Amino acid sequence: MLPAAVRGIVPANHMLQAHSPLWHYLWVAPNVLLLLLVAILWRRGVFRSQPTFLWYAIGTAVVELVDYATDISPAVSSESWWLIFKIGAIIEGLLKFILIGAIFGQLVSDYSSIAALGRFLIRAAGVTLILAGALIAALAPQDSLFAFVKNAHLMQQSVFLVVTGILLFIFWFAGYFRLKFPRLDFWIALGLTLSACVHLATWGIAVNAGLPDDKRTMLDFINMGTFQVCVVLWFYYLLAPHRVSTKPVPIPKEELAVWNRELERLLQR
Amino acid sequence: MTIAILLVVAAVVCLVFVYLAVSRSRQLDGERSLAGIQPIDIDAFRNLVDPREVDYLRRSLPPPEFRRVQRKRLLAAAAYVRTAKQNAEFLVQVGQAAQASASVDTAVAARHMVDQALRLQRNAFLALLRIRAASLWPHEGVPATPVLDTYDRLTGSAMLLGRLQNPAAPMRITS
Repeated sequence: MLPAAVRGIVPANHMLQAHSPLWHYLWVAPNVLLLLLVAILWRRGVFRSQPTFLWYAIGTAVVELVDYATDISPAVSSESWWLIFKIGAIIEGLLKFILIGAIFGQLVSDYSSIAALGRFLIRAAGVTLILAGALIAALAPQDSLFAFVKNAHLMQQSVFLVVTGILLFIFWFAGYFRLKFPRLDFWIALGLTLSACVHLATWGIAVNAGLPDDKRTMLDFINMGTFQVCVVLWFYYLLAPHRVSTKPVPIPKEELAVWNRELERLLQR
Repeated sequence: MTIAILLVVAAVVCLVFVYLAVSRSRQLDGERSLAGIQPIDIDAFRNLVDPREVDYLRRSLPPPEFRRVQRKRLLAAAAYVRTAKQNAEFLVQVGQAAQASASVDTAVAARHMVDQALRLQRNAFLALLRIRAASLWPHEGVPATPVLDTYDRLTGSAMLLGRLQNPAAPMRITS
């Protein structure tokens, strides 16, 4: 269809409208791909290192496909669709928080020395972000949208604010303590962060900028396109073979000598 | 509209931060052996955190002078704590890489060392917060004793791992 648009057979902006072929593709394909990824991970047994991701992927894909099916079904009214959307968003949000909690748990679980501090800090960050989300939602301007639509938008804005903030905290925490993510967790967290940041920006615009409907559809395309990118990223990095180095990295001898002197000095006391 | 702009800016800043954090950690992986260990003058550090020294200075100096001196001591202690933290960061990276070792002894020693290094980093994080707070009204001692204690234990863990990885390296532990 894209070449057709270039040749002028269909209007150039046709693809960026609701219910265009691109719109259908972007809503359905990433979720089908996500279910395919789940099946492959399951067959390969890769899920054992992060089983929560499978539940997140299945839940998200099913919720999105239900949203899609009810959107194109003439039997579902607009108000019912937004109710279904909100229920789906709550399920998706919960699964996301469970997955993020599992990723952070794996990051610190082997190290009792920082596990308690990490749990305390992530809870503090979570509470702060929830309060910030509530405050920002309260400051949202009034517009012509129906209340049930506006509520759904506000809920998404708040959820993505909290998700983005917590993921940012996890990356900061890992960087500060020089902790290395398990390989799968790293790519899962990176995909989630990319998706959360873009969704935070788009829902922020949708809620606060007072855009007309056609412009708001563009935000849907950005969200769906970003999710497609994340799924492809997960597909590649969770399935591509990687080298596992079993060769130990020795402490260099010169540095060993420095530590030797330090220890000697300590023991002399 | 202002909130929309703020949220977009926040999202972009988050993306940039994560990109920088990821690229920095990969760069540090590559430069791990170049950064190395910075030696710490343990005696001077002990002296700085010794509460008897603080008591002596408090008795000997007039209050404004004591606060001035103590503020400088806090700054010096912060520098020591930061160096100890950098050493611990280095050992976390070395230890995490060594955990993949085929030798069970090396992997266990590496894991123990990483835990000790993280404990030191945690203590350093808290000590730096306390030092910053104490600098505002410097009338107490230098709150960095836990850093010194964990540095002591970490040194032992690093030596054990070093010995497992470099059996031929000279060990000159004074009897």
